[in-house]
Amino acid sequence: MAQALRHTAFGTMHPAVPAVFLALTLGLTMFTPHPVLAALSLAGALAYGAVARGIRSTLLALRWQLPLIALLACVNPLFAHRGSTLLFSVLGMPVYAESILYGASMAVMFVASVLWFQASRDMLPQDKMLSLFGNALPVVSLMISMTMRLIPRFVRQGHVIADTQDVALSCADAGARRAEIGRLGLMRRRMRQSSVLMGWAMEDSLETADAMRARGWGAAARRTTYIRYRFTLRDAIGLLLVAVLGALCIAVAWRSSSFSFYPSPSPLGPWPCYIPHAVWMFAPAALHVYERSVFA
Amino acid sequence: MSDEAVALAYDDVTFRYPGACGDVLSGMSMGVPAGAFALLVGGTGSGKSTLLSLAKPQIAPAGDRTGQVRVFGRPVDDLDGNEACKVGYVFQDPDNQIVCDSVWHEMAFGLENLGTPQGEMRRRVAEACYFFGMESWFHDDTDALSGGRKQLLALASTLVMQPRVLLLDEPTAQLDPIAARNFLHALFRVNRELGCTVVVATHEPELMADYATCAFELEDGSVRPVDDLGCLRRAAALADRGVAMLSGGGSGDADASVDGRVSGSSARAANVPAAVSAQGVWFRYGRDDDWVLRGLDLEVRRGEVHALVGGNGCGKSTLLALIAGTRRAQRGEVRSAISAKAILPQDPKALFAEECVRDELMEWAHIGGYGVDDAQGMMAELGLADRCGLHPYDLSGGQRQMLALGKLLLVRPRLLLLDEPTKGLDRAAREHVADMIDAARRDGVTVVVSTHDLAFVRRVADRVSLMFDGELACTEPVDEFFRNNLFYRP
Repeated sequence: MAQALRHTAFGTMHPAVPAVFLALTLGLTMFTPHPVLAALSLAGALAYGAVARGIRSTLLALRWQLPLIALLACVNPLFAHRGSTLLFSVLGMPVYAESILYGASMAVMFVASVLWFQASRDMLPQDKMLSLFGNALPVVSLMISMTMRLIPRFVRQGHVIADTQDVALSCADAGARRAEIGRLGLMRRRMRQSSVLMGWAMEDSLETADAMRARGWGAAARRTTYIRYRFTLRDAIGLLLVAVLGALCIAVAWRSSSFSFYPSPSPLGPWPCYIPHAVWMFAPAALHVYERSVFA
Repeated sequence: MSDEAVALAYDDVTFRYPGACGDVLSGMSMGVPAGAFALLVGGTGSGKSTLLSLAKPQIAPAGDRTGQVRVFGRPVDDLDGNEACKVGYVFQDPDNQIVCDSVWHEMAFGLENLGTPQGEMRRRVAEACYFFGMESWFHDDTDALSGGRKQLLALASTLVMQPRVLLLDEPTAQLDPIAARNFLHALFRVNRELGCTVVVATHEPELMADYATCAFELEDGSVRPVDDLGCLRRAAALADRGVAMLSGGGSGDADASVDGRVSGSSARAANVPAAVSAQGVWFRYGRDDDWVLRGLDLEVRRGEVHALVGGNGCGKSTLLALIAGTRRAQRGEVRSAISAKAILPQDPKALFAEECVRDELMEWAHIGGYGVDDAQGMMAELGLADRCGLHPYDLSGGQRQMLALGKLLLVRPRLLLLDEPTKGLDRAAREHVADMIDAARRDGVTVVVSTHDLAFVRRVADRVSLMFDGELACTEPVDEFFRNNLFYRP
């Protein structure tokens, strides 16, 4: 996977701002089956991908996204024989334009959601996400931190154990080796390896526990949490903006939920209603460009 | 007045582990002056760790203690909460004492435990990071740090709690020589610039004798001050091969090993076929990673002890993995003419699967086709005959290493790969490992050993390769290698 972006939209904000923004974006994308809103979301996600990850990689990703949209658009008419504009019939099955439109909208929503999930990894990297937890639930955040510390270590130790045993197997004579390499032998060896790892981990954890006590674990009745991201006035304003614009978008989405594809699509207008959505969806791309333009 | 002059005082302290027959410490007294850099020396198992941990009740072992331990005049048992952190403790293993996944969280961990307010916490973390120059890796994952940085982090994360007395138990034993020096230098600055009293328990005082202001020797449960610090400075070098042969073991043994060496040199002339050969080997761990080995050539002769030396992360362990066949090169190939191989990983704990030493040595009986008698013999050879009922984890570090080595030797490998076999071991244990390798060579086993321990290389190896920048910078017979090297010598 590509490296995380070093500087992007919301990079200088408290993680709560991108977290709320992304949660609303994903919600707006996944729960509004409206052709214009879905298209805006996809366009915004593509725009962010293009400026953040490069036009080339965004276009390359279209190689699977466009066929997927086309496929879903074609598949829907096979199951939904509804609509008012008959295009043609295949093997006696009527294919309506509305049905294709519905399939395409769903596909666009799906692809847009995937893209926003990808974008959220850039705008809200794992450490920022965990710090959100940290403020609310200090114990959970410490547990996560300790677990994240142990996982790569156990994986490495597991490899060392398995390698050591596998190499020693080269000293066995042919018969013994065959017994060990067989399925039963392999299972037995893997079991053994995990018990070695267990013993090793337990032994090491005794020292870790000592190290924790030596640094005051349990000394105070209440632990505090080191906060790397401070919530400033600027973040409050950002969050307020996100909330206001988000409320507008939700209102529009709510209104547009009366939109129906069958038997014929409801009217799309009035067009100015879509302005909040457009602003919202293109905000990450704009913010990214702004963040980079500081050094342009 | 005197309370401030003596940082750490032991008054007539006796300690006995539950169920043990003798006292570890018997009526020992010691006073470490404030601001001192004190060394605590003594053999393995002499009770150095016990002595240190008694000054930190949170981690003190269970047992019967009499006498009093005082920190600046206050009994340690009376210190609690914030005050307890006036005594800091750094452990031996850099990996085990790190609790959190990122450097910044690790630095804050102790302060979080004490419930330090946010602003104060930020200031102290910032100060400590500047003191140790950690800014560039403040956001890194702890798991990706080198051993030296991990240990430095352990020191820094103890120091943010502003201890007045710092206790360290073999803090450099797991580090390579360069990292050990860096660490000691940082420790020295903590002592002189911050005025923090430092007590280091160690079995290799020569590394830090220059920094020390006083030293104590622990022997038979009692402590005596060392008057002449100069004598600690002289490295307790491993006995020369010839000397070891004359002094240790029977004369027959000595003859055999002298023969072994002679045949080794004649083998060199006779140009025996290579046991391991590699030509133009390129290796990296991941698609986007840097090359670890870049066009490396290697030839290990049959029946020799070949040492790989070089800095941290230069690819020694990687090369061993390629020879073992657990990794495959992306370009080029490592060919091994010997199929019966065994590898000793850096941490012997990777081998221990059983509940006692006896069972441990029998675990691979079905692989090696050996019997109880062989295991008994091996136990005697390892010096573990009287420990056969103990759990492997209850052995000392040196004994664990011997057990792991013995377990490998029982399956009779013809090519033995050893990764840092003397890491963290004291002189006697290193000597013992060297003897075992000598014995294996006499049986015609080819040995490739990767190590930082140059004295050990001089003691056991026939030829040495210096690894640098993904290649072998040179490969020479051991005497020539050390004669030609200016800085890279024991």
